[in-house]
Amino acid sequence: MTATPVLSASNVSMVFGGLTALSEVSLQLHEGQILGLIGPNGAGKTTFFNCLTGLYTPTRGTVTLRGRTLPSDPAAVTVAGIARTFQNIRLFPSMTALENVMVGRHSRMKQGPLASLFHGPAYRKGEADARARSLELLDFVGLTGLDDELARNLPYGDQRRLEIARALATDPAVLLLDEPTAGMNPQETEAARQLIFAIRETGVAVVVIEHDTKFIFSLCDHVSVLVQGQLLVEGAPEVVRGDPRVIEAYLGKPPDEVEAEVRQYAEEAGRPSAAESTMVIPPVRERDGGSEGGNR
Amino acid sequence: MSQLKDVLKPGLARPLAVGGGVLAVIAALLPWVTYKFAQYGGDNYPAAASLQFFDAPFQLEGYRLHTLILGVVVVVVALAPVPARHRVLRALGWGLVAVGVINTVFAAVEGGGLGAVTAADGAIAFGGFACVVAGVLAILAGIAGGIEHVHVWRAKVATPVAYLVLLVSFVVLLLLVAMMLNAGGQGGVGNPYAGPIFLSLLGFLAGALGALHGVGLTGWISKLSDQHKVFSVAVLVLCALALPFTEAGTDYWMTTAANIGIYAATAIGLNIVVGLAGLLDLGYVAFLGIGAFVAANFSGAAAAAFGVELPFVLAAIIAAVVAGIFGAIVGSPTLRVRGDYLAIVTLAFGEIFKKAAQNNIGGLTGGANAIPNVPPINWFGQSFDKSLTIGSLELPSGVLYYVLIIVLVALVMVVFANLKNARIGRAWIAIREDEDAARAMGIKTGQAKILAFLIGATLAGLAGAVFAHKTSTVAYDSFQFIESVTLLAAVILGGMGSIPGAVLGAALLLVLPEKLREFSDYRLMLFGLALILIMRFRPQGLVPDRHRRAELADEGAEGVPIEELNVHDTPGGSTAVAR
Ligand SMILES: Nc1ncnc2c1ncn2[C@@H]1O[C@H](COP(=O)(O)OP(=O)(O)OP(=O)(O)O)[C@@H](O)[C@H]1O
Ligand SMILES: [Mg+2]
Repeated sequence: MTATPVLSASNVSMVFGGLTALSEVSLQLHEGQILGLIGPNGAGKTTFFNCLTGLYTPTRGTVTLRGRTLPSDPAAVTVAGIARTFQNIRLFPSMTALENVMVGRHSRMKQGPLASLFHGPAYRKGEADARARSLELLDFVGLTGLDDELARNLPYGDQRRLEIARALATDPAVLLLDEPTAGMNPQETEAARQLIFAIRETGVAVVVIEHDTKFIFSLCDHVSVLVQGQLLVEGAPEVVRGDPRVIEAYLGKPPDEVEAEVRQYAEEAGRPSAAESTMVIPPVRERDGGSEGGNR
Repeated sequence: MSQLKDVLKPGLARPLAVGGGVLAVIAALLPWVTYKFAQYGGDNYPAAASLQFFDAPFQLEGYRLHTLILGVVVVVVALAPVPARHRVLRALGWGLVAVGVINTVFAAVEGGGLGAVTAADGAIAFGGFACVVAGVLAILAGIAGGIEHVHVWRAKVATPVAYLVLLVSFVVLLLLVAMMLNAGGQGGVGNPYAGPIFLSLLGFLAGALGALHGVGLTGWISKLSDQHKVFSVAVLVLCALALPFTEAGTDYWMTTAANIGIYAATAIGLNIVVGLAGLLDLGYVAFLGIGAFVAANFSGAAAAAFGVELPFVLAAIIAAVVAGIFGAIVGSPTLRVRGDYLAIVTLAFGEIFKKAAQNNIGGLTGGANAIPNVPPINWFGQSFDKSLTIGSLELPSGVLYYVLIIVLVALVMVVFANLKNARIGRAWIAIREDEDAARAMGIKTGQAKILAFLIGATLAGLAGAVFAHKTSTVAYDSFQFIESVTLLAAVILGGMGSIPGAVLGAALLLVLPEKLREFSDYRLMLFGLALILIMRFRPQGLVPDRHRRAELADEGAEGVPIEELNVHDTPGGSTAVAR
């Protein structure tokens, strides 16, 4: 990867009272990249997303989008071009699917209160455009025909997809997905994988948090492993997958045992297994506690 | 409930319903009381309650006629192929119970005990009891058969037919409103029957409407009116304007209807804040007060602070703007406080306003002396408090205010509807549903919330300007905490976020006290009881907004019980939606 990254976090730390949820995490996301963020429960992945999107103000460190430092105001961050979904789905439950996506268009619509009040031609055009774009996005994520359904009445998998459509409606440069396949069955997971590839095709760079390592390794160009608030390993999937420290820290199992699983994953995903490929483990910065087991 | 269902086999539904219907018919023909209400000029309790069928079979009227109608309909519904039959039976049953209980209780209280409604002095009267039992049988029949979902009519009709249907429904609505206002006459010492007659009619109409709703008629009409919005609004306004020409066109009801209108307009404004943006405001009536005091001060009244008499329209605009500014100020803490804390801030503001007005701060409110003698609005030489004569037709006084207020309510409704269906309206609803997610969608939530307060307060200020001229005296004690609560109750009772709901809520909350005058000691208690019952059995309000309906009803949007809907946090993939 060359050029300047789209999104870059440098030395982001987040401290809650006495608890250091993130310490000195740096990460770079490049144009057209799908970056996987994995790590045990409580590692700080969601906290990191919250710091990127301005929901939390990092204790230290900065986040820049295309070289411009982001404020810690979620609305402004969204306007700047970062969109996200939530780990525990946070749709507007009693709005329809279409209305949910149209809320996503909010920051891209130029419709002041007066235009809203009088419903003039400018209002009508703006509404029609927002509506058309939203329907297009519902189609894109595979929710064709469900536009008039209340969000809360949608099945779980569709709610996840609706959240993605709503995020895409903000015309983001970067999309952050927090566990997009949690609770999905294998077919839905595969559909989600294809959807993320399709999103990348539209020129949006994606960061995905996921516990399903098979999913992550078959999807991402680059994987970062977060353990206890610290970046343990990062690199290409093949590399990260074979790293014994990752295996131990993330999976909490001795490396040999995991190796067999990894080989199986790799075969299913149609990629050379980590064990077979000649792999180079990048030098990992030494961190205290970095090799401790996950708290699963 | 489930044990009840085990005992009630579906096969019992029809016999129970037929039995209930027949019993209701018998109840209508039985005497209901054993005495005459001598103290009221020897009349029988309304509508010849002790009349027996064979004396005068065709003289049934009032509540006994209603009982007869309900009974016959129950029998017909039990035997004919009616959609959502058991839901309809249950509604009719509740109507019978309401009619029976209200009249029996009143007759028993007035007649000095149970003897008055059973057997005494050689006379027998079990009509009321029979009516209640008949109602219970019909409800049990409904439960036994299994309550169906509300039937949905998908019939499409040509535009002229739709217009005709809408026209007829709105005219019927108008006549019903007039009938309700007139039922039993004005309440008061001279007319002790007004309360029960009115309540009984309300029970009957509620049962009948519930039945029509179950069959799908009301849903169909509301869908038609949604499709032909402009036509519906026009007809509705025309119908409202026609009210003075009906039997309710008296000075008294014109004044009451105008008051309802002022409160309805204010309630719709509050609905923006509470219903759409989800911000609880407990001091909202202060904005009505601010508007009223501003208008009064520019009205040329002797006690006004400014010696100018501005034209009404100008004064109203100033009132609205000033109220709006205060709205934005009161709304600004929403940037920092949420939920209950915001409610406390608004409550405090309401109290500050009241105290300031009471103490005549700045000499603007007249304190305890109020600002009296605010002149009536006067356009083209016609003073609004005088009666109006068009040709040979003399309209009651107050009719011009009534018309002005209808226009005001229509205006406020348009503002509400237009904002709701726009970018800002969606932002408000999003904030109500999930503020963090709304921010993550790029909504500047602070601005949006202050705007909600500002617009709501502006509308209330406008209503306040009309209020000042109409009541002619603006005193601080018209704007107390209880008024804020009443407005909030109107919004919640009618259905949050819904316009017809706010109007209906305001109407009920103002008409009921008028009708229940003779129960004034118990008025607040009855009022509280009604609210509790509504919150228990219909938390989404009487005429819910689509969003709320889904959120709070025990039924999904299309009448699917919630348990059957997919619960989204079931792990392990998607459960199909039961729809
Ligand atoms: N607002 C907060 N206040 C205090 N502690 C917090 C807060 N948010 C997160 N934490 C703590 O920070 C740590 C990291 O949590 P986070 O939710 O980021 O983990 P995660 O990696 O997303 O885990 P999971 O895989 O379970 O989603 C946890 O110990 C959590 O309790
Ligand atoms: Mg998380």
